[in-house]
Amino acid sequence: MIRLEGLGKDFGAHPAVSGLDLEVRPGEIFGFLGPNGAGKTTTVKMMTGLLKPTAGRVLIDGLDLAADPIAAKRAMGLVPDEPFVYPKLTGAEYLRFIGELYGVPLADIRRRVPELLEMFELVPWSGELLESYSHGMRQKLVLAGILLHDPKILVLDEPMVGLDPKSGRLVKDIFVRLARRGTAIFMCTHVLEIAEKLCHRIGIMIGGRMVACGTLDELRAQSRKEGRDLESIFLSLTGGAEYSTLLRHL
Amino acid sequence: MLGTLLRRRVRTFSNTIGHWSRYECLRNSAFGAAGFGLLFGLHDGFYRLLKHLSGIELIGLLLTWKLTAMLLLMTFMMVVVSSLLTALTTLFYSYDLKFLLKAPVSLRAVFLDKSLESAFFASWMIGLILVPYVGAIMRVRGLGMGYFLAFSASLPPFLLLAASFGIGFTLLLLYLFPSARTRDVVWVFSSLSLTVVYGLARLAQPEKLVRPDALRAVAEYLNFLQAPTAPYLPSWWLAEALRMAAEGDWRGWASRTAGLWGAAAAVYGLLMALAGRIYFIGYSGAQEGALRRREHSFRLLPEQRLLGMRSAAVLLWKERTTFFRDVKHWSQILLVMGLVFVYLFSIRRLPLDTAELRGLVSFLNVGAAGFVLAALGLRFTFPAISLEGRSWWVLRSAPIDVSAVMREKLVFSGAPMLLIAATLAAMTNWILETDRFTAWLTLGALLTVGFAICVMGVGFGALFPNFLVENIHQVESSVGGFVYMAACLFYVGLTVALLAAPMQMHFAERFGTGVWNSRPALYAGAGWLALNAVALIVPWRLGRRALENHE
Repeated sequence: MIRLEGLGKDFGAHPAVSGLDLEVRPGEIFGFLGPNGAGKTTTVKMMTGLLKPTAGRVLIDGLDLAADPIAAKRAMGLVPDEPFVYPKLTGAEYLRFIGELYGVPLADIRRRVPELLEMFELVPWSGELLESYSHGMRQKLVLAGILLHDPKILVLDEPMVGLDPKSGRLVKDIFVRLARRGTAIFMCTHVLEIAEKLCHRIGIMIGGRMVACGTLDELRAQSRKEGRDLESIFLSLTGGAEYSTLLRHL
Repeated sequence: MLGTLLRRRVRTFSNTIGHWSRYECLRNSAFGAAGFGLLFGLHDGFYRLLKHLSGIELIGLLLTWKLTAMLLLMTFMMVVVSSLLTALTTLFYSYDLKFLLKAPVSLRAVFLDKSLESAFFASWMIGLILVPYVGAIMRVRGLGMGYFLAFSASLPPFLLLAASFGIGFTLLLLYLFPSARTRDVVWVFSSLSLTVVYGLARLAQPEKLVRPDALRAVAEYLNFLQAPTAPYLPSWWLAEALRMAAEGDWRGWASRTAGLWGAAAAVYGLLMALAGRIYFIGYSGAQEGALRRREHSFRLLPEQRLLGMRSAAVLLWKERTTFFRDVKHWSQILLVMGLVFVYLFSIRRLPLDTAELRGLVSFLNVGAAGFVLAALGLRFTFPAISLEGRSWWVLRSAPIDVSAVMREKLVFSGAPMLLIAATLAAMTNWILETDRFTAWLTLGALLTVGFAICVMGVGFGALFPNFLVENIHQVESSVGGFVYMAACLFYVGLTVALLAAPMQMHFAERFGTGVWNSRPALYAGAGWLALNAVALIVPWRLGRRALENHE
């Protein structure tokens, strides 16, 4: 459903992402991990048409993103790392706008918007301008926006940041249910616990390259850390041996 | 502590320049040279004017200083109004305020740092315009560099004092009414003030200075010249200091300059003392969002009734809704109205006696009104793409083409622009009682110019997008804004040059000195079509490609 073939991006002489090959199947939740500056957000931006790749291609639901961007984008929903939304629209108006942009019939918008607002507990705020929303509220609204047009593919860049525990739990349950219905989910996160519990497969990116990819067991095998949790595997793959020395500076 | 705060500005500035690439060095040098050329042009204009004034017997000197006082008064008022806006954004809404106010820095140090920044941004450009003027005084009167140094010593406290009015007013207003709504009131108030200042400057009829015959009696005219221009304002103190320095009265200059510095120090001391007590209350109140519930009915939008269920309709609805909810944007309409009023007032005041002269002015109006439309394009159309801001990802990741976004921006700014173009052309022709041929030619030309300026505005806006800007002025004063304005002026100039051929034949026919010759008219028409084809197609295509590839 999502296929990245030799995907690469250079910023001047600096390669941000190099030769990335990946496939995320329908119903799969794929966790994308890596230290800061590893190239995760660059990858997300290339997958969603916000950045043009220097090399390779992105296939969304079988459609080449470069050749048929409109159809590919219609099949996809994005939650960016920073949920910037139009400050002078209200919550309900934002959802209406998103629904119209993605071609959702007006009758469905009329029915679904109040449901989604209720699901994310935004009803009391639905008539307020988005400039008065907190980060978490805007994050929930963006999530409501992608659920409104019910895409086959979700691309999420740190979707849990700013969410209160109840909303965080709700969002996790939503992802699991959507995956069961066949939605392919690609999720960048720094919260290893979420990746460990939620994701079917995990990829670890360092310096623009995928250094490990597979199920948790496969990652354990790759890092030769039998029976250890994802945090230890992640630290061992990303240079965790130096971790204890960093604390000397405290 | 203030030293640390100021050092960070110096370091930021030096780091920015130090990290310029070769391309940026070349580009900024080119624009620096263009800016210098502009200042030199202004200097030349001022020199010619002052030379003419000083040549008038008996009252030449009086005229020079009267004009200087009026110019300084205008400068003062412009800085006051400008500082209202900059004080609001820098003192209460800067990104770094959250960091600074969390740091163990005294509130007064933060206030002084931010108020100096505010004063700088409110005054540097207006102050820079005075340099070529003073240069012209020096040339006309044969004064040396000592005079320029004297001017340089007197100017900073003058600008600081002007900015302190806006800073003090905003500080007090946010203290008395600490809410986000006050921000909106300040925006409307400053737009209104700027409109009034602009209108008053025109209604003062400065052209009377160069046309003494326009005043009924000599005594009345001399009274007008000798009366101080707002003697209680620092603009008069600076005018006096400049006059005294020019006459070699250095003691008088020193006392006026010391007065300016003393007043600036006293006013900023007072503001600092006040800020210690009230700044944080205003800042805290300004952060509160204005809550006002708006219910959204999920009926068909007006734009959808008009255009159908296409994405263009919803884009247009979003644009209209966000524009009219943002006081920063809709309050600018007041300025546009002021601009149109002053323009038409100026046309009405022109001393035109014959029908031929009125016809000529009506034709040249295409150039002048084209300039006004270009200025409006720079303010409203060119920034439209960049003003999508950090929400740009919403549209870029949505299943719509960037062309659809560009077309929507064109429709939203094109409709009012065409209305203004039609008003300027029709009203001017009506005031000047222009003949039918000239009236239709100028109306058609201005409507085309208005449309092309909008297309170029969207095209260049897409070619030079900046989604990280904090305010509209950063977009206007960017390199892209400069290129857009230069392209517009070039286009308007060529339009006037090409349409001059049919106008010349029309005049020749009216005077009975010639008849219509189809070949030059055909060439002019073909040239005009080619010019518009280039203006309508090239920036649009370049902009669309740039926006598609924007990273």
